[in-house]
Amino acid sequence: MSDRTTLTSIGVDVGTTTTHTILSRLRVETPPGGSPQIIDREIRHRGTVRETPLLDAETIDVDRVVEFVERELEAAGVTPDAIDTGAVIVTGETARRENAEPLAHQLADDAGQFVAATAGGALEAVLAGRGSGAATRAAKDGTMVANIDVGGGTTNIAIFDGTGLAGSSRREAPVAETRCLDVGGRLVRFDDEGHVTSISPPAREIADVREIPLEVGKRPSVAVLEDLSAAMAELIVDCCVGPPFDSLTRSLWIGTPPEESLPIEAVVKSGGVGRLVASPPDDPFAYGDLGGLLADALATNETVRSWSVLDSAEDIRATVVGAGTETTTLSGRTTSLEPALLPLQNVPVVRVPAIDEATGTDLEEAFRTALARADELYDIGAEDAVSLSVDDVGSLEYRRIGQVAKALAGALEAVPWSLPVVVVTRQNCAKALGQSVRRGTDRPLVVVDELGVDGGDYLDIGEPMAGGESVPVVVKTLAFGE
Amino acid sequence: MSTDTTRSRDSEEATDEETLKRIVDRTPTRLGVGRAGPRPRTDTLLEFRADHGLARDAVLSRVSESFVSELGLVSLRSRAADMDQYLARPDRGRELEAASLERLHEDCKHAPEVQLIVSDGLSSSAVEANVPDLLPALEDGLADHEIDVGTPVFVHFGRVDVMDAVGEELEAECCVILIGERPGLRSAESLSAYLVYGPERGTPTARKSVISNIHDRGLPPVEAGAELVDLIREMIEHEASGIDLREDDREFIEQ
Repeated sequence: MSDRTTLTSIGVDVGTTTTHTILSRLRVETPPGGSPQIIDREIRHRGTVRETPLLDAETIDVDRVVEFVERELEAAGVTPDAIDTGAVIVTGETARRENAEPLAHQLADDAGQFVAATAGGALEAVLAGRGSGAATRAAKDGTMVANIDVGGGTTNIAIFDGTGLAGSSRREAPVAETRCLDVGGRLVRFDDEGHVTSISPPAREIADVREIPLEVGKRPSVAVLEDLSAAMAELIVDCCVGPPFDSLTRSLWIGTPPEESLPIEAVVKSGGVGRLVASPPDDPFAYGDLGGLLADALATNETVRSWSVLDSAEDIRATVVGAGTETTTLSGRTTSLEPALLPLQNVPVVRVPAIDEATGTDLEEAFRTALARADELYDIGAEDAVSLSVDDVGSLEYRRIGQVAKALAGALEAVPWSLPVVVVTRQNCAKALGQSVRRGTDRPLVVVDELGVDGGDYLDIGEPMAGGESVPVVVKTLAFGE
Repeated sequence: MSTDTTRSRDSEEATDEETLKRIVDRTPTRLGVGRAGPRPRTDTLLEFRADHGLARDAVLSRVSESFVSELGLVSLRSRAADMDQYLARPDRGRELEAASLERLHEDCKHAPEVQLIVSDGLSSSAVEANVPDLLPALEDGLADHEIDVGTPVFVHFGRVDVMDAVGEELEAECCVILIGERPGLRSAESLSAYLVYGPERGTPTARKSVISNIHDRGLPPVEAGAELVDLIREMIEHEASGIDLREDDREFIEQ
């Protein structure tokens, strides 16, 4: 059995430079025991792309963003109370949680149905890859596809692993890895006459290390700028194919470089610069920055030319068009809770891949990897909690539950003690698993069961229902462009 | 063997196939299986007979002595002399025979906080399928809370209320009996756990608590073990079981 609903949803995407509102109608289907799936989406209105209003470098002018959104709703002929769900995603340097939640609250009386999320580079990479269709292509073709999102300030790469998924029912492949680099088109800016007006620190470093003459106020030759762009393109390529990595790549890396390279079979390019690769502008300096030349350098780079390049579904960036939410469901009746931790809202979920056969150190490693991914994607220090979704713990034997609990307790040592962890299982084993994990750790922990939740979803978990242990749960899934 | 997937459905006669599927998917009972004239189809009939056979086997076969000793349980017997008597005389299933009473006092710890009892009841398959995962989860959970557990026993031909006799003899603070349930035609492996605080012979059923439907497609045994730990802690804390423990949950409206 499955429940179907049609939702009117808004997606508000607040980036470092631009803000964009999209109004959509989503058809959401919730299979029994599964998480809500957006089976159909129709964009009803695309808002104007506006400059993000800021109070200071890190604070968004929330009132003005709300004003933008209201104007778009008016233009679409939709009243605010007709909005069922929504997603407010704040990305880039303004990605502070303090920004996202007040926005969601101002936009909706019932902000509970909203996803309010912030995205650092790694999550932005994933969102870009889901929006560009890279995740879907990887699943459909059963291949490993990288989405290279080259923007103004950074390059965010998400690698989706669809190996073994061809012909399966999964619409999108899971993320194998994200890689982010301080390389982008707006690192150097020019005035109308071609004088350099600003050089941001990463560009300065690249120029110095590669001995390319570049100074603010001077008018560099096109050849010099081409050298700089080619150097940047090489760094982006190095970031995709390594390790081993060039020392400059390591220096510009955001986060920690991986230790193993991945067999990428195809790439999708997105982002402002990515778009220019496919359709170069007549004047490379049209945007007063290095974007046009960087696009050229990428297009002519030998390694890039050897790659199998797939078309991107979205032009500029992956746009969140809203959120599909499942109306409140109940967890299993036997759970393992610490009622003082509840309620929790907008808890990001990472999925622990198939561990039903894993034992010993492999098992602990699977949990560690998932937690490392959570740390990479979400600013977990700033989150209220983080959630691990486990599809299949294996057979529900006493010995097995003990093994899984031991591995989980071991892996949780890496998580800051103060951060509550929510473990969600599909099988009915929360209480047994919870009791068993608590034998190895006394950290804040909530274990709920009989729920299917995907990585990338967000959870709201309410207080236990009167007299019982079952908790109401809302699963929120981000919706992307068609 | 019965399997859900091989069951033929009534789909060709359904006017609303999707609704029928929704109903059928919600229950393991024999819905939408079609018919041949006024009678069930051959497949349906064969499955029904196979399931009935499983149910009969579950009742009529007994838990082996080796299974009992592997779990480290002290083996006892009720006053029922054989299967026929066990089925015909429930009263005999509630008392221990003389030699077992003696063994109970000799081999089992006196006055524990919790006395654990396992009995085949009406389904030996339920005991064999569930107790090996349930019992260690329960014992370890009770140990976590430093609850004093007595020597676990197995009662052949036991009824639920045999726990009153065992508990009274040992002066246990509370008793738990894990007992095979009367098989249905879809689950011959369902186990229940009954609990009583302050066991005495003749304690009314209303003063007993129960966790039922324990099997891999119901409440998994390992999860049931964990749930029993919490319930036993609650019983000890409130010194009550059955409706005495749940009184607060209900409202009585005065006329």
